[in-house]
Amino acid sequence: MNLLNRYLQAVGRLLPKARREDIIAELRANILSQMEDREEALARPLTDDEQAAILQHHGNPTVIAGRYSERNLGLAFGVQLIGPELFPIYKRVLLLNLTIMGILAIVSPFIVPAGTFESFLSPFVIQISVITLIFVILDRNKRTVLDKWDPRKLPTLQDPPEDGPNARSVFNFVTLAVGIVWLAVLPESPHLFLWTSDLGNLSLPVKPMPQWIAFNWAIVTVASAQLVLQFFRLFRWLPTRKARMVDLALKSVGLIIGVLLLFKFPTYVSSESADLARWANLTVLICVIVAVAITLFGVGKLVFSLLRERHQMLPARQY
Amino acid sequence: MYLTTHTVCYTVYIAQYVSHGTRVNESPFENLKLELRRGCLVLAVLAQLRVEHYGYTLRKALADDGLEIEESTLYPLLRRLETQGLLVSEWREEDKRNKRFYRLSKDGKMILKQLLEEWRGMGESLDRILGEAKV
Repeated sequence: MNLLNRYLQAVGRLLPKARREDIIAELRANILSQMEDREEALARPLTDDEQAAILQHHGNPTVIAGRYSERNLGLAFGVQLIGPELFPIYKRVLLLNLTIMGILAIVSPFIVPAGTFESFLSPFVIQISVITLIFVILDRNKRTVLDKWDPRKLPTLQDPPEDGPNARSVFNFVTLAVGIVWLAVLPESPHLFLWTSDLGNLSLPVKPMPQWIAFNWAIVTVASAQLVLQFFRLFRWLPTRKARMVDLALKSVGLIIGVLLLFKFPTYVSSESADLARWANLTVLICVIVAVAITLFGVGKLVFSLLRERHQMLPARQY
Repeated sequence: MYLTTHTVCYTVYIAQYVSHGTRVNESPFENLKLELRRGCLVLAVLAQLRVEHYGYTLRKALADDGLEIEESTLYPLLRRLETQGLLVSEWREEDKRNKRFYRLSKDGKMILKQLLEEWRGMGESLDRILGEAKV
């Protein structure tokens, strides 16, 4: 089934996130039924080559994902230039390139003097033109390009099921552990907040406000509980749904703490230097806003997926 | 602005040239057959889903009746028809596996009835035209 998992992973990467799990679960059920039928007919398990042939017939992951796009969009200028199968990838590539160009355009005036409006606009237009042309050519030749694919050459699984810890989950666990240690020692060593020990020796250190220390311990406690949960998830000792419900509870507590910090106690640190205090408070405030936004997004995502699973009896994530 | 305007113009020009220049040379019959099939597929799927099916068994049922549909066409089509409110679906366990079962919705039944009337009307007209052509 490794080949099937790799195939579904390849399709899933190109699907819209909101419908990804649902579509993948359905594709899995259909392809497995097809494979079982074939096994029944042959009265033996399928070989890798036979599995690959079924997947090959099923279609190129790019084409499949394109056909699942909600609106069958394409790019047309009189005639269709890019069809609906390739359009989602075209959109992604274009967006990525334009984002990079946008960041460079924002940063570059700080490095080199600003030029004319044309010199600002040209790189964008050239990027759009080149990418569009590449995709138009690809679309014209999609039959020869997209049909020549081999399921055995698909990328290996990023997150193999029931294989215990993997690079990503270990990284998340270690990052969270380091973050907790950093938060725990922060009230005693406020110079760590500035990420440099030199400033700690200066005569203008920042001091955490008493309420910040109390909140800090609350955050450390919730984050430690998250760490324990991640440890269980690392080895898959907790059923996915239960783990997500615990995750939701912890994130909700974290969200309450974040909201209280934002609206009830907006002053976090004090300093003899008013400028330093203002700068430090603003930095913490931005960090808290970002943390609250991320947690809110996480809570929303968890609520949505739990509700959807309940209504649709959607099988738990399998790849 | 010169470079920008010209870049846009040339891109459109080259894209149009590429679209026309490298068009896959399919026979007109294949193109017309595809067009003819496209409308019939929806009708066939709706008619078959008067009885509940999940994706794979639906494909088999259609194939058994002589209408082969590629998986990459059928499965997304089911989603689209559901989005349009013509089908309803539910996840249910069968043979120890969760499967998404589709069936015709109330609106779907109505639309199918109308489409079938249209289909029969067109068939009769075509028969008359073909009959006249023979004469």
